[in-house]
Amino acid sequence: MTKKIMILDDDPVFVDFLVDLFQDNGYDTCFAYNAEEGFHVLDSEKPDLITLDIDMPKVTGPLFYIKYKKIDELKDIPVIVISGLHVPHRAIKKVVAALEKPIDRDKLLNIVKETIGEGSSS
Amino acid sequence: MENTILVVDDEKDICEVLDISLSDLGYNVCTAGDGEEALRVFKEVNPPIVLTDIRMPGINGIELLKKIKQENRDTEVIMITGHGDMDLAIESLKLEATDFITKPINDDVLGIALKRANERISMRQRIKAYTEHLEELVREKSERLIEAERLIAVGQVIDGLSSVTQNIKEDFDGGITYFNELPCLVSIHNRDLKIMATNQLYKERLGDKIGCNSWEMYPGGEENRQRCPVFRTFNTNEGQRSREIILDENGKEIPVIVHTAPIRGTGRDVELVLEITADITEINRLREELRTTRQKYQQLFDEVPCYISVQDRELRLTETNRRFEEDFSNEIGSYCYEVYKHRDTPCPECPVVKTFEEERSQQHETVVTSKSGEQYNVLVWTAPIQNAEGEVTHVMEMSTNITQIRKLQDRLTSLGLLLGSISHGIKGILTGLDAGMYWIDSGLEKNDQERLKKGRDALQLIVGRISNLVLNLLYYAKERELSWEQTDVLIFSRSVAHTFELKLRGRPIEFSCDFEPLTETFEVDTGVFSTALISILENAVDACLEDKEKESHEIIFGVKQERDVILFNIYDNGIGMDRETRESMFTLFFSSKGSRGTGLGLFVANEIIQQHGGSIDVDSTPGEGSQFHIRIPKVHPKQAVTEYRQDKKFHKT
Repeated sequence: MTKKIMILDDDPVFVDFLVDLFQDNGYDTCFAYNAEEGFHVLDSEKPDLITLDIDMPKVTGPLFYIKYKKIDELKDIPVIVISGLHVPHRAIKKVVAALEKPIDRDKLLNIVKETIGEGSSS
Repeated sequence: MENTILVVDDEKDICEVLDISLSDLGYNVCTAGDGEEALRVFKEVNPPIVLTDIRMPGINGIELLKKIKQENRDTEVIMITGHGDMDLAIESLKLEATDFITKPINDDVLGIALKRANERISMRQRIKAYTEHLEELVREKSERLIEAERLIAVGQVIDGLSSVTQNIKEDFDGGITYFNELPCLVSIHNRDLKIMATNQLYKERLGDKIGCNSWEMYPGGEENRQRCPVFRTFNTNEGQRSREIILDENGKEIPVIVHTAPIRGTGRDVELVLEITADITEINRLREELRTTRQKYQQLFDEVPCYISVQDRELRLTETNRRFEEDFSNEIGSYCYEVYKHRDTPCPECPVVKTFEEERSQQHETVVTSKSGEQYNVLVWTAPIQNAEGEVTHVMEMSTNITQIRKLQDRLTSLGLLLGSISHGIKGILTGLDAGMYWIDSGLEKNDQERLKKGRDALQLIVGRISNLVLNLLYYAKERELSWEQTDVLIFSRSVAHTFELKLRGRPIEFSCDFEPLTETFEVDTGVFSTALISILENAVDACLEDKEKESHEIIFGVKQERDVILFNIYDNGIGMDRETRESMFTLFFSSKGSRGTGLGLFVANEIIQQHGGSIDVDSTPGEGSQFHIRIPKVHPKQAVTEYRQDKKFHKT
């Protein structure tokens, strides 16, 4: 089963970049540009990992986190926080890792591998 | 003729015998043969004793007795009687004869009678002497008594005077202290032109002169004594006023003004003179000191870099300093809240009112409006002012203009925000660079043209953002000296469109221009203003890129004239904005997200437009697109250039 990563970020360029990065490394991807979309995607795609931008407008990053943690079947999906501002946000406690932009690609890929393993278990 | 006796007898023998006897006894004897002769002699000689026979022819002894007694009552008359003349004898005694002796005259009897007569005479003399002496004594004593009474009366006057003097002297020493506090030399003089008392200053300036002459302090000495004011006062009975020169302790000449006042005793005469000498130089010195002190105070009051006003309980201005008058009002009596705040009623949090209530200094920050309508932020300090009874009757209000400080504060705040915004933007830039590089690297590695192209496009976008950031930072950092030019509208607009087109190359966005055929010019700083328009155009690009819904995107750049204003229109059919975004998009509060760069671009664009005296309006529908209307007056108004109203963006009121 190919692992799927969900990317939640309002910068389309960055989303595009992560999509390509993860896909190049054998992962499936899905994405959303805001929290509302994010829930839809979360529900329909059921990813194995989420990368979450927490300085989207209207504090939607932390809100998304709080909300999704309340959903039983979804709350255990691991989250990597990616932020342009200070880390960590006080509303977000249990995260796998928190990274600051601009990200270190290799570090990100390593954390992803450690968390959910390789992309495609061939 | 004390020892003279007159013997009167018609018998000559007796006369002779008596003469011898009496002469033996030491008497001086005169004789007379009858009454008439006796009288003659008596009138002539006036003997104290007369010895006379009673029975005589012519004027007899009794008659003679009467007549002698008429002449001189005090004469002692001895009657010589014969036997049987007892009746006559008694009668003579009744007529105040001294004695009688009978013939023949016995020497012893005569001696006794004479003795008695002499005794009577001497007694009489003694009495007389006593009487006279007594009268003398009485007169003497009366004189003394009168003298004493007079002295007593005089003494009383003197006492009266001296108590007046004493009172005055006491006034000098204690009592009425103003005599000592007057910058004058005060002295009291008596009729003898002697100084009887002086005040403290007199002692200090001229020495201890009590007992000295009144005229001594004037040059010219004793010859000039009649010129001195004290003398003239005694002379004329009236107070004098004159300018004089006096000599101080060291002989130095001092110009003075002298006033004298007569002090009358119980009579109408002047008993004492009060002399008040005012040192002209002293007065001038005091006057000068007062003037400089006043001047210093006034300087301080006026030049201190505060607005100072003094108000009464009704909040009326009773005093204002120069700065207050310049910027607000110089009407004493007007109400503070009218002049300072342009209100009809006292301010709700008036610190002056609070100071009256609590009788302590208060502090307050507020905004006031000057005569010319400018608003200043001020920090107000108040201080209560008490009267002699300790009641607070007035309050002094001191206000410091902190508008500059607040502006600096705003500037710093905005710089802080700016830094935050920039750092976020830079992160976006770096992320974009990162992405671009990844795509290029992986594209080269995989030989994937699509990917390479993606990388290149990304890099181009980022280059655009970097250059925007740099331009905006430069604009923000440097002094806002604009260089105004009269510029042809169409030529300017075309050049902006051209620059923008170059940036759009490779983007899937249609760009078109819609310019009215204008031949107008407008005043603008072309470099700066074109930056502003480009920023807004780029924002339109970002909006289009963000919008994933529509197939194609377009941006339309329009220019037309509205009366004396040039209207620039930028339309896009990108993602649109909601109301909150629209309202905050030109502030630094609007932190840029996603691909919209730093947000500084729009902020600066708005500033530039404001500086040109223009305005921006935005219409937008989320999901559909946005339209920016930028209006610039053809002739730029002076006001817009002078002040930067950044503060408007941040004050929440």
